[in-house]
Amino acid sequence: MKVAGNVDAHLSAISGFSPPGRSLVFLYGIAVLSVAVSTSLAVLTFNFGIPRGQASIFLFGIAVAVWYGGMGPAIVTVVLSGLAYDYFFVEPIYSLTLGTADIPHFVMFILFAVLVARFTSVRRKIEAELQKSRDELEIKVYERTAELRASEQKYRELIDLSPDPIFVWDKNLRCVLANAAAARLRGCTEQELIGLSGTDTYLPEERYLTEQRLEQARSGAVLRFEREFLRKDNQIIPVEVSLSIAEGDNYQSVVRDISDRKRAEEVLRRSHEELEVKVKERTAELSKANEELQSVNKELEAFAYSVSHDLRAPVRHIAGFTELLQKQTEAALDDKGRRYISMILDSANRMGSLVDDLLAFSRIGRAETQKTTVKLEQLVKEIVDQVAPDTQGRNIQWQIGTLPICHGDPAMLRLVFANLISNALKFTRTRDQAEIQIDSVNHRPDEVGVFVKDNGVGFDMKYKDKLFGVFQRLHSQQAFEGTGIGLATVQRIIHRHGGRVWAESSVDKGAAFYVTLPNRRAS
Amino acid sequence: MSDLKRILLVEDDPKDVELTLTGLAEYNLANEVIVACDGEEALDYLYRRGAHANRQHGNPAVVLLDLKLPKLNGFEVLEKIRSDESLKMIPVVVLTSSNEERDLVRSYKLGVNAYVTKPVEFHQFVNAVKELGAFWAVVNEPPPGSIRKK
Repeated sequence: MKVAGNVDAHLSAISGFSPPGRSLVFLYGIAVLSVAVSTSLAVLTFNFGIPRGQASIFLFGIAVAVWYGGMGPAIVTVVLSGLAYDYFFVEPIYSLTLGTADIPHFVMFILFAVLVARFTSVRRKIEAELQKSRDELEIKVYERTAELRASEQKYRELIDLSPDPIFVWDKNLRCVLANAAAARLRGCTEQELIGLSGTDTYLPEERYLTEQRLEQARSGAVLRFEREFLRKDNQIIPVEVSLSIAEGDNYQSVVRDISDRKRAEEVLRRSHEELEVKVKERTAELSKANEELQSVNKELEAFAYSVSHDLRAPVRHIAGFTELLQKQTEAALDDKGRRYISMILDSANRMGSLVDDLLAFSRIGRAETQKTTVKLEQLVKEIVDQVAPDTQGRNIQWQIGTLPICHGDPAMLRLVFANLISNALKFTRTRDQAEIQIDSVNHRPDEVGVFVKDNGVGFDMKYKDKLFGVFQRLHSQQAFEGTGIGLATVQRIIHRHGGRVWAESSVDKGAAFYVTLPNRRAS
Repeated sequence: MSDLKRILLVEDDPKDVELTLTGLAEYNLANEVIVACDGEEALDYLYRRGAHANRQHGNPAVVLLDLKLPKLNGFEVLEKIRSDESLKMIPVVVLTSSNEERDLVRSYKLGVNAYVTKPVEFHQFVNAVKELGAFWAVVNEPPPGSIRKK
């Protein structure tokens, strides 16, 4: 459309119909020659007996001269033709007398020449216009070609710069463009790549998948996937591909060699597998150790059962028969004998308590804990009520604060506080006024804590680690009786509950025992 | 052997037998006791067979049963008693050294009437035996078919 518009503009700008680039001699020669030829033809036809129509032969000559000669030769031709016609065909023949009889053919010749000149002028204008627009088009084509070449050059440079292989495939999956990296990947020259079929770069079993991917790309998707690239030497290289549709139904793909990554993944996977094998081995070892431990535990349990049943009987017999002996021989024995008997009884009874306490202690380890909500304040008050009969005649000042509610085995926790309270009572026995304080303490938000504090004889802190050991005692049997199992029991129960227990004291300054249990609400 | 005995004491340890009898003697119940040394003899007595084939009819008012016994143990004896139509009503008291919870539970599951752990301390032991004998042989009304006090 634009080209057509330009042609219109040029047509209107051009005037005159002079043919460009011809010499005047040639142009006027044509004029003279055409008159000569038409005159000769007219004379010949006339002499051969054709009486009329010779004017049209002159018209033909005029037309030729005007067409090729332009304005000047046209006038010359018209004048010459008029004179020649007058001379040969207007009465009086063979004279150049110009009269009214000459007017018709002169007018006819002039009008005809003007008409042809007009046509010629229009033709020349169109020709000139066409020429001009052709020239412009040529220039444009030249410019565009240069631009395109520059753009292609940039594109090409960019492609060649990429360390990753880049391919452009046509719709039949023939390679139309590829970079040096692509040639290196394939293992051939860049020239060899052009025309290469994409199907030669993947394994046959990937054909269906590839077709699916191409179809997805055709619908406008940009695909990223991993596949195996087949080299020219049939070596397989794992690659990651980005694929999309390109201009002109082509496909473009950027390919990345991921051999290193795959190798690293493989190494990782293998070490992971090795680790798993090791974990399995360790688990097996542990479970074997656990089984052994369980069997040892069973043996221990059987041992404890045996102690419970068999060891208690002889102790009971010693105590029983000694008492009977005492009864029988009371009168016959002297003081020394009676003292011996009472010592035998003491020992037997003490052994009985030891066995019973030891059994109770071992039972804590074996028994299942049955946890529920325990109101420690209520539990402590019940224990204090229970020990009341044993403390008659003593001056004891109890101070029981608000105690927390915790989560635990009620029977076991009862044992804990019974032990702590009974210890507090025992070791304040020498005081005129015993002071026993039981209150809550909060060291950490994930725990509930309670302490039992007394003003008793206390202990040296250097023994604080020995305090919770089985059969560990810090006082003589004469001073304070006991089997040394109470605090061990306390610790065992608290540890089974996931809590902590510790003591603070100094000699003769009383002692404080702290017990914490996990706070269920916090966890 | 044909004497009417109202307490069957199943106990293999002669010392325990003697101590138990001492305790029962305080309520003059010692003569009411027949002693079986193992589980088998206990069943022989109850079924009137073997050494006890000629004894008079009737079940004891109570069986004091140790758990750890030669031949048949206390649980087996208890199981047998509870599964026999003619014996199942006899009150059975386990009298044992064991204070293991699983023994306690198992005994009650088998239908024992009472479970007493023998205390080490002699006074407590005697008291326990005395009270047991007094309750089951004197205070308690035994089921029909038991040997009654003369």
